[in-house]
Amino acid sequence: MSELFVALTPANLLACFVGTVLGTIVGVLPGLGPAGAMALVLPLTIKLGPTAGLIMLAGIYYGAMYGGSTTSILVNVPGEAASVVTTIDGYRLARKGRAGAALAVAAIASFVAGTFSVVALQLAAPLVARAALAFGPAEYFAFALLGLVLLANLTGGSRAKSLAMVLVGLMLSTVGMDPLGGTVRFTFDLAGAQAGLSFIAVTTGLFGVAEVLASMAEPLAAAAVARVKFRELYPSREELRRSVPPMLRGTVLGFLVGLVPGPAATIASFVSYGVEKKVSKHRAELGTGAIEGVAGPEAANNAAAGGGMIPLLSLGLPFTPSTAVLLSGMLLMSVTPGPFLLRDHPGVFWGVIGSFYVGNVMLLLLNLPLVGLFARVATIPQQYLMPAVLVLCAVAAYSDNNNIFDVWVMTAAGIAGWAMRALDWSPAPLVLGLVLGPVLERSLLQALTIARGEVSGLWASGPALVMLAAALIAFVVPGLAALKGHAS
Amino acid sequence: MGRDRWSAAGLALLAIMYLLVARRYPLDTLATPGPGVIPLIAGVALLATAIWLLIVARTARPARDVGGLSGSGAAPTRPIESVPVLRSPFVLTAALILYAALLPRLGFIASSFALVVLASRLMGARGWWRPVVLGLGVAATAYLLFARWLGVPLP
Repeated sequence: MSELFVALTPANLLACFVGTVLGTIVGVLPGLGPAGAMALVLPLTIKLGPTAGLIMLAGIYYGAMYGGSTTSILVNVPGEAASVVTTIDGYRLARKGRAGAALAVAAIASFVAGTFSVVALQLAAPLVARAALAFGPAEYFAFALLGLVLLANLTGGSRAKSLAMVLVGLMLSTVGMDPLGGTVRFTFDLAGAQAGLSFIAVTTGLFGVAEVLASMAEPLAAAAVARVKFRELYPSREELRRSVPPMLRGTVLGFLVGLVPGPAATIASFVSYGVEKKVSKHRAELGTGAIEGVAGPEAANNAAAGGGMIPLLSLGLPFTPSTAVLLSGMLLMSVTPGPFLLRDHPGVFWGVIGSFYVGNVMLLLLNLPLVGLFARVATIPQQYLMPAVLVLCAVAAYSDNNNIFDVWVMTAAGIAGWAMRALDWSPAPLVLGLVLGPVLERSLLQALTIARGEVSGLWASGPALVMLAAALIAFVVPGLAALKGHAS
Repeated sequence: MGRDRWSAAGLALLAIMYLLVARRYPLDTLATPGPGVIPLIAGVALLATAIWLLIVARTARPARDVGGLSGSGAAPTRPIESVPVLRSPFVLTAALILYAALLPRLGFIASSFALVVLASRLMGARGWWRPVVLGLGVAATAYLLFARWLGVPLP
C-alpha cells in the first residue's frame, strides 16, 4: 500500500501533470477523443518507462472527462460523448449568467466522483485480482464472451450492427501468427502482417484519421466562447447545497455502471440524468438550467472512468477503447495486466492508482482558474489542428513496429472508419473485438484442450457456468423482445 | 434497398471471402483444436449476423452511437443523404494514400510537410503563408521529438 507514494516521485508527478493537461485539452476539443489521443502519445510514453508512461496515459483518460464538460457548458458543444448530457442544463445555466458556477460544480463533482472511485478501485481491484487467480481458460473465455455480448447490447443503436463490428474486429485479430500453434494466417504473404495488425495503427486510423476526414465532411462552425472571470467561479451556497445529493447519487451510479462493459462513462451520465429527473427535489427545473443536471452526470462519468479500470487492472480485460489503449501500452512496456499484475509489478499497480488521487487534485486546481484558457483551445481553427493530427497519427502508427506497412494499415483503417461513420456503424466494438480476439481464441482452445475435447468443459466450473448463462440471457432476451416488437 | 442493407450485403461478402481463405487452416480435433477453429466461428457468425441484418434492415432502429465509446461522434451523425457531397475529403483520402506510398521515397520530413500544407489548404486555410509555416513546424517538431529524442528510425 505504501507503494501508492510511488506516484509522488518528481518524474511521475510530471507525467501525471502532462497527462492531465493533455487529457483536458483532448476533452475540450470536439474532434479527437481520449482513445485516439492516447494512441497518438503511446510511443512517447514508452520512453518514460511503465510506471510514468501508464500514469501519463491514465491522466489523459480521466482528464478528458474533466475537459469534456467545459465546452458543453460554455458553447453547447460537448467535447466528449460523455458530456453530451451536460449541455442540456449546463449551457442553459451559462445563458442565465451562471456559467462560472456550472463550471465550478462540474469540476467539483468530477473531483468528488474521481476520488471516490479511486478509493473503491484501490479496495476492489486487489480483491477481484485475488479471485481471478482461480480463473482458468474456461472462466476467461466465459468472461470475455459475456463482456462482448453486453457490449453489443449497450453500445446503442442496433445490437446486430454492434455485434457485426465485434465480429469484424475478431476477424482482424486473426491476421498474423495464431496465439497457440504458430500458424501464420491471412497475411497474403505480406511481411508486415506477420505480427498481426498493429492495434495502434488501427486505433489511430479509426479514431484519428477518420475523425479528420469526418470533420472535413461536416465542418464545425468556430465557436464563440464566453469569457469567464475567476471571481465568477464561486457557486452560491444554494447551488452548492443543491449539487451535493445528485453528486453523490451520480458517483455511486457511475461507479457501478463503470464495472459493466460498454461505453460506461456516456451511459453513466445518461443514467444519472434520468435518475435526477425522477428523484431530484428540483426535478421540474431540469432542462431549464438546473445545477443538478450538471452535478449528477459530471460525477457519474468520472466515477465510471474509475470503475472501468477494475476489469483492466485485475483481469487484464479492457471493455472501452480507452482502456484497450492502456492495455496495449502495458503490453508494449512488458507489463501484463491481470491477476498477476499486483504480484509482479506492485510499483506499477499502486503507482497508477496513486496517480489517480494526485491527478484529480491537479485537475481541480488546473480547471478552476484556467477554465477560460482551456475553453479557448476549442476555438483553434480546424485547418491548423487537423493536419498536425494526421502527421502524428502516421508517426504513432509507424513507430509501433518501425514499419511502413502499419502506415498503410492506419490509412486503410482511417478510410474505413470514415465510411463506417457515414453509414452509422460504430468503430468502438470493432476495436474491442480486435483486442479481445486473441484472449477469446487462446482461452477457448486451451479450455478445450484441458477438457480433452469435451465441449462441456467450457461450463464445468460454477463461475464459468454463471457467466455463460448470463451471456446467453443477455444475447437472447433483447433479441426475443425485438422479434416480438417486429411481429406486432 | 437502404444503405444498411448495402452495408450488410458487403459484410456478408466479406464473411464469405474470409471463410474461403480460412479453409486453408486446419480445424484438427476438439481435443487439440487447430488454427482454423476461431476463423470458422467468426466467419460463420458474421455471415449469420449479416443475413439477419439484411432481413431486418428495413425495420431496424436508426443506429445511434450512444457512446461513441470512442468519445468521438459526440455530434449526432446526420443521415448521409443530407451531407453535401464534398470533394475535399476524397482528395485528402487520395493524398493519404500517396503519403504512405511516398514516405519511403521522399523521406518523413518532405512528405509530411507536403501532407500538412495540402490538408490545411483543403480544410479552408487561405493563402500559402500559414500552411507552409504550419507544415514546417509540424514536420520539424515531429522529427525532433520522435527521430531524435525517441530514436524512432523514421524514413
